[in-house]
Amino acid sequence: MVIIPATTGQMGVLPGHVATIAELKPGVLSVHDGNDVSKYFVSSGFAFIHANSFADIVAVEAVPLDQIDASQVQKGLAEFNQKLSSASTDLEKAEAQIGVDVHSALNFALSG
Amino acid sequence: GNRELVLFYSQIGVDVKKNVIVTISSDKGLCQDEQGYVQVGFCLLISKVCSDLNSGPDKEIKYVILGEKAKAQLIRDSRKDIELSITDLQKNPLNYTQVSVLADDILKNVEFDALRIIFNKFQSVVSFLPTMATILSPEVIEREAESGGKPGDLDSYEVEGGETKAEVLQNLSEFQFSCVMFNAVLEHACSEQGARMSAMDSSSRNAGDMLDRLTLTYNRTRQAAITTELIEIISGASALTG
Repeated sequence: MVIIPATTGQMGVLPGHVATIAELKPGVLSVHDGNDVSKYFVSSGFAFIHANSFADIVAVEAVPLDQIDASQVQKGLAEFNQKLSSASTDLEKAEAQIGVDVHSALNFALSG
Repeated sequence: GNRELVLFYSQIGVDVKKNVIVTISSDKGLCQDEQGYVQVGFCLLISKVCSDLNSGPDKEIKYVILGEKAKAQLIRDSRKDIELSITDLQKNPLNYTQVSVLADDILKNVEFDALRIIFNKFQSVVSFLPTMATILSPEVIEREAESGGKPGDLDSYEVEGGETKAEVLQNLSEFQFSCVMFNAVLEHACSEQGARMSAMDSSSRNAGDMLDRLTLTYNRTRQAAITTELIEIISGASALTG
């Protein structure tokens, strides 16, 4: 079973799942193989679940959770929050918001 | 499972008005074999594609060029059709971020119904296959899906996320473009390295052969000159004594 971070929320995928194309948001992807669970942080991308019970997950970046540095995450979160409050144009606001979203998701992934 | 590639990949048969050809080529030379294959294969494919795509009214072709070599060749006859040209792509090691910025640029500035990416696909160190990958714009995909063409398979998929299905498909199409570009750029870089390796290898061997031949000629000439001198000396000496 795979749990993917779709934009509509965490989605559990088991064999026989209906064919789906899901857009991903920054979050944790966990692969459950029997009792083994591997967790990855995915920055964004798309997941394709095919009718033949194959799933393809195309992520822009994916990192195993244990390779993420928590202090860097805190630093990044503070930095982007500050950028968000000082942003003037829509583009700057959008970019800062993306930074905040990704770092919050990283933070949540590390704590959860 | 490579089904998503099948979903979108070779839509060559789809008929569209505005084709934009993205050609990927090398910046530096020294990677042609005797027939100049890496470049020739390209031009043959482009001219074939152009004649196929341009047969019909209102059809137009524009170019986006990556790399000096294609620019030099296409600028000769199709200067007015070149929309964007980018060089020095490999100054830094190839990475997805750079290619996604490039893809973003192209998507923002170039109008298209279909993007045809032409590159050399790496098969082995000595063989490369000029390949074309097609990306359709979201409107064309909708149109084709409705008329029951290949993209109609898309309908069998539920679409999660975003406000509307169209929005997700637009995102997907842009993401796909950057992924296919990344793949094309990597394959091309690989082919270029392979071609350069074999070109340099054969020129080293040729230089070695030439060196051997010239060494032999040099030695023979040197020995002939010495022999001539010896003969002159000896005949001179025997003329004096005899």
